[in-house]
Amino acid sequence: MDHQTTETFDQNAREALTDEQLRAALRNLVTTFGERRKVAITTVDDWEGLRERARAIKDETLTHLDKYLEEFADNAERAGARVHWARDAREACAIVLKLLRERACEHIVKSKSMATEEIHLNAALEAEGLAPVETDLGEWIIQLAHETPSHIVVPAIHKSKKQIAELFAEKVGIEPTDDVAVLTSTARRVLRQCFAEADAGISGVNFGVAETGTFLILENEGNARLTTSMPKIHIAVMGIEKIIPRLVDLDVFLKLLPRSGTGQRLTSYQSLITGVKKSVDDEGPEEVHIVLMDNGRSRMLSHPVTRQSLACIRCGACLNACPVYQQIGGHAYGSVYPGPIGAVITPQLAGIKKAAQLPYASSLCGACREVCPVKIDIPELLLHLRAEIAEGTTVGTADQKGPVKRKLSEQMAFRLYAFLWSHPSLYNLGTRVARLMQRTVMRNGHIGRVSGFVSKLAPPLGAWTASRDMRAVAPRSFREKWRDGLSGRR
Amino acid sequence: MVELEDNKEVRRAMLSAIREHLAASMPFDAVHDEHHAEHKANPRISSAVADEQSASPTERFRNALEAVAGHCLMVNDERAAADLVLEILGKINARRIAVSDSLLVKRVMSHVKLDAEILVDASKSELFDCDAGITSAQWGAAETGTLVLEADAERHRLASLVPPVHIALIEADKIRQTLGEVLESLSEQGRDRLSRTVTFITGPSRTSDIELTLAIGVHGPGELFVIIIEGRDK
Ligand code: SF4
Repeated sequence: MDHQTTETFDQNAREALTDEQLRAALRNLVTTFGERRKVAITTVDDWEGLRERARAIKDETLTHLDKYLEEFADNAERAGARVHWARDAREACAIVLKLLRERACEHIVKSKSMATEEIHLNAALEAEGLAPVETDLGEWIIQLAHETPSHIVVPAIHKSKKQIAELFAEKVGIEPTDDVAVLTSTARRVLRQCFAEADAGISGVNFGVAETGTFLILENEGNARLTTSMPKIHIAVMGIEKIIPRLVDLDVFLKLLPRSGTGQRLTSYQSLITGVKKSVDDEGPEEVHIVLMDNGRSRMLSHPVTRQSLACIRCGACLNACPVYQQIGGHAYGSVYPGPIGAVITPQLAGIKKAAQLPYASSLCGACREVCPVKIDIPELLLHLRAEIAEGTTVGTADQKGPVKRKLSEQMAFRLYAFLWSHPSLYNLGTRVARLMQRTVMRNGHIGRVSGFVSKLAPPLGAWTASRDMRAVAPRSFREKWRDGLSGRR
Repeated sequence: MVELEDNKEVRRAMLSAIREHLAASMPFDAVHDEHHAEHKANPRISSAVADEQSASPTERFRNALEAVAGHCLMVNDERAAADLVLEILGKINARRIAVSDSLLVKRVMSHVKLDAEILVDASKSELFDCDAGITSAQWGAAETGTLVLEADAERHRLASLVPPVHIALIEADKIRQTLGEVLESLSEQGRDRLSRTVTFITGPSRTSDIELTLAIGVHGPGELFVIIIEGRDK
């Protein structure tokens, strides 16, 4: 399935807005996770202090990422893990495929991982005849439905339990039910068989600890624990930005991540895995492989504004808080990572050409910045990316970037505006002319879809009024009022 | 299949790309830092977050665990722990039980007289058939009701995970106030003595993946009993 469909963002968003079931699911998400988060962050003494500390740790790591990555890789290898380096998605998929092929692995279980979604690992493995099974309940649901995640924490949030029951009835032959407990135990029963047979497990990574070479997975269900302990071979795919320096730094992130994401004090399970088991009698896989993946990340290091993107711990709080995400859900973004964080990292990962609309899919209200546990200034990033789009510079690799075409009429309009703005007498004349002309399209001081009356402006202003109203030019300008004395006669 | 370049070469290339990009950012960093002074306000990065608490660790542990639907029971000694284990196993009508190889579990189980199969080294397929798993825990964190299990101390990974009921035994003096304290102890072990797997467990397995409705026991145990042994009469 091709994710890079951001060309159609406007169309997707419009369709999503008419999907009543989706909107109900999103309302549920916002109230449930939003409220739980609000309560959860009051259970630590100094939330602000924690956020700042987390950001400082991330900044320290990212500005010395080469050093910490080497430390992580060397320590993981000392403990018996094999570390593989992948510059891009193609290399990462090829490494995983080669490992599975060489060991003749046939039955593969996966636990939820956005990094493997990002590189479309399942599709790459399926193309070679392998059939990895997603074992996180939400991921399994969307895998059965041949869909993609619509949220980075709760991937099947867009599906109702009725749809899920119908899906299970069709795919695994249960009686339709609206009992969530029955649906859940169905997943347990069916997937246990997969775990019993599995010869390889694939997971993502939440944090990699440089001083010990440990990688950490957070979860609630237990499928990541099963994935990392039942099969003979484990492969963990991680972005290079997941590193933190020390084991004790986990304290800060374990306080922030669950509270921000699901409003929990802590998720049910954390697995800290350091290399491979010490003796054959120990439990766990015989081989542990770590795939360290760049895939567009390192170039985000080249500017402090874009570098922030790499501090993200994928908690999902900015999605839940975003008024745009709340209305349209994750699929409308057409990218693996939706919501505010998706709008900033997709153009950087996939190239601006493929995602030029995403940095505009935001009202810059700042709600994402407010909730972000690592204090990423997403509005600042959005503006930075918009500027790069406007200038046709620097985002993405050479073949991905290049000027994003803006409409000639839009460019002309801005030039005209700039010219008028810098010539006061012409500007004043312009407002007077506009006041006369707008009479034909104005209702109640607005231009647009007002009280059943749809007025259209000529391009490029028409694009503005296609989705929102425009304030008409005031009867008297501020300058005119000022000249006549502000409190003076009307 | 894609031809892969030598891993060492790719490592070198990736690290030098990182260095180049970081170098490119230096001129911007200076300007940017002035505008973002607050991020520099805390140059000493990280340590366990301070936490003062009046409640005893065991009380606090119990409250936190019960808040996430775990059961917490306190006893004075190992014999009393054995009685509780017997009671729980009886209630769930356990026929087959997986136990870890920890000494505490061994001692407590020696008092448990039960007509059931007790497997110390259950195979994977046997584990799927077990009604309960019994382990100990090397640490507890009171603030969250979290158990910390180290693979070097006991083979806990599957016994605490696969059966539908997990019973965990912990000595009261192993419970610290915060997870930060536990992380510090783990880190003091040093990278070579750190267990290859450390598992943190807070309550039973859960999911909210269907309409955000909470369901307990999706892949891991649906019930978690923690028995805290106070050892007051030791
Ligand atoms: S940008 Fe911040 S709020 Fe959004 S997912 Fe990342 S860490 Fe969470």
